[in-house]
Amino acid sequence: MRRGWQVACVMLMGVFAAALVVSLEYSLFDSLGPGAGFFPFWLSLIGGVLTLAILVQTTRSPEPADADTKILPDRPAALQAGSVLVALTLAAALFEPLGFRLTMLLFIPSLLLVLGVRAPVAVLLCALAGSFGVFHVFFYWLKVPLPIGMLGI
Amino acid sequence: MDTFQHLMAGLAAAMSLQNLTFALIGCILGTLIGVLPGLGPAAGTAILIPLTFQLDPTGALIMLSAIYYGAMYGGTITSVLINVPGEAASVVTCFDGHQMAKQGRGGTALGIAAIGSFIGGIVATIALIVVAPPLARFALSFGPPEFFALMLVGLCLVTGLAGRSLLAGLAMAVLGLLIAMVGIDPVRGAPRFTFGIPSLYDGVGFIPVVMGLFGVAEILLTVERPYREVIKTNLASLLPSREEWRRCVGAITRGTGIGFFLGLIPGVGAIIPTFVAYIVEKRISKTPERFGQGAIEGVAAPETANNAYANAAMIPLLTLGIPSSPTIAVLMGAFIVNGLTPGPFLFKERPDLVWAVIASFLLGNILLLILNLPLVGLWARLLRLPYQYVCVGTLLFCVIGAYSLQQNVFDIGVMIVCGIIGYGMRKIDLPIAPLVLGLILGPFLEKSLRTSLEMSAGDFSIFLTRPLCLGLLVISAVVLIASALNLAPPEVRKSDT
Repeated sequence: MRRGWQVACVMLMGVFAAALVVSLEYSLFDSLGPGAGFFPFWLSLIGGVLTLAILVQTTRSPEPADADTKILPDRPAALQAGSVLVALTLAAALFEPLGFRLTMLLFIPSLLLVLGVRAPVAVLLCALAGSFGVFHVFFYWLKVPLPIGMLGI
Repeated sequence: MDTFQHLMAGLAAAMSLQNLTFALIGCILGTLIGVLPGLGPAAGTAILIPLTFQLDPTGALIMLSAIYYGAMYGGTITSVLINVPGEAASVVTCFDGHQMAKQGRGGTALGIAAIGSFIGGIVATIALIVVAPPLARFALSFGPPEFFALMLVGLCLVTGLAGRSLLAGLAMAVLGLLIAMVGIDPVRGAPRFTFGIPSLYDGVGFIPVVMGLFGVAEILLTVERPYREVIKTNLASLLPSREEWRRCVGAITRGTGIGFFLGLIPGVGAIIPTFVAYIVEKRISKTPERFGQGAIEGVAAPETANNAYANAAMIPLLTLGIPSSPTIAVLMGAFIVNGLTPGPFLFKERPDLVWAVIASFLLGNILLLILNLPLVGLWARLLRLPYQYVCVGTLLFCVIGAYSLQQNVFDIGVMIVCGIIGYGMRKIDLPIAPLVLGLILGPFLEKSLRTSLEMSAGDFSIFLTRPLCLGLLVISAVVLIASALNLAPPEVRKSDT
């Protein structure tokens, strides 16, 4: 847990430092009062100081009682979570070129298989309902704009 | 028009077939969200926002409000039947509710929870009708410095009570505020932190961020959680015995009062009223040893307080524009998506909408009671739905929700990144609520701060020379000092999601 907090603090400090540098490009004050950089500058500064304080506090404090709490998942769970993210990223990449229906027709069965569903009929029904069925409901009934791909589907 | 006339007009609007249908759909979907493992009310409300895109604002907000309090009740079912709280506020219900289910009294536990929730919700809504108009009128006298101080109080309360570390809560709130700075500067109109990416000109979308932090992160966590068994219990007998009724009357009355008054305070969160209601019942009981062993008051009091809180928490949102919890922040996001800014001006400019939504709370509570008592068995069966299908369904809705708001794939990317961040935050117990509230309050906070400083030509003493503003700033400081001294009970500080 402590290592997790230390890593998070370092990453946050990076974010706040970058924001601080960028905010200096905007005016802190102008003729009308506080400028576009005023709020981000102070937020970045305060955020950086807070994160530094957490880092020091975490590093100097004794290991908490729940130090042995498992943060990283075991290998199968990590693989499944990673596969979910890869599938989501691919779906995002294909979303507009292939359109909603074809993308989901690929995304849903792959995800179900990755998550351990081995019933072909259930996978097929879910894929059809989640792609063509959901598209019909959202696009035609609820008038929610969803992409139609280059194949016209 | 006085309050009564507004309410009658609101009831007439809420009782139109269309709005009644939206409320019914919202209650069903909300309960479903609460019941399905791995979906909390914040994530559930967020992923269902796309369903309301094409509705008129009144219908959309009636449906989303119904989803919100439906989800608050749905969490009870998982607490009783699988000892897993569907949302943070249902943690306390696990103590006695699950014990009752183990003793074969699961139906009675769910029955009293539904009845208590109904009474708490109705009484809190009536109190809302009485309290909200004068509060909104009072808030109309606020200037930018008072609004700035008020938002600061809300943010400090949420930050002070979220998670195990005050510093971490503050850092997350600051991060949320900083993310809210991305986009066009609301005062000068200049782009900030956009790095030449056109998709960032409108800022980082609130909906994709919330869907990522709650929806995608929850799915990633669900994938590695062990399977929880649904226990077999008697769901046929829902009504308590005469002796149980006698015990519950006082518990429900006290739970209503506790939930309502704590719901008025921005930032208290749903978990505190339920704990307070439980502790009060245990303290005043002549047989406190029964608590934790299946005492029906241990279910009635927190469940009543939970629903009374859920309805009362709408008061700070509707009258002051301050969200009390991440779920209420999502609702505020839904208002903004519909082109409305919650707060005192909404009462003045759109009384038709505000009163229709308030009236729908009354109808929604009745619908929930009608739905939940006979459908308890169905909800219990849904708990057995394999998580894989829930994961796929949730992700499908997340993708649709993130994309369809601006028809931009970039937002799906934002959602995925926020999902990874939310997963990491949950793993190391970093509080998410302050980040979400910072993100939604950021533009308002900045605008009121800068307008205040423009009013005073850059002189910060404007915040100290106005009595109400000074009072609110003192409250913020007291909240932070109290949090730093760890005055809040540890069980209350533990989790915000």
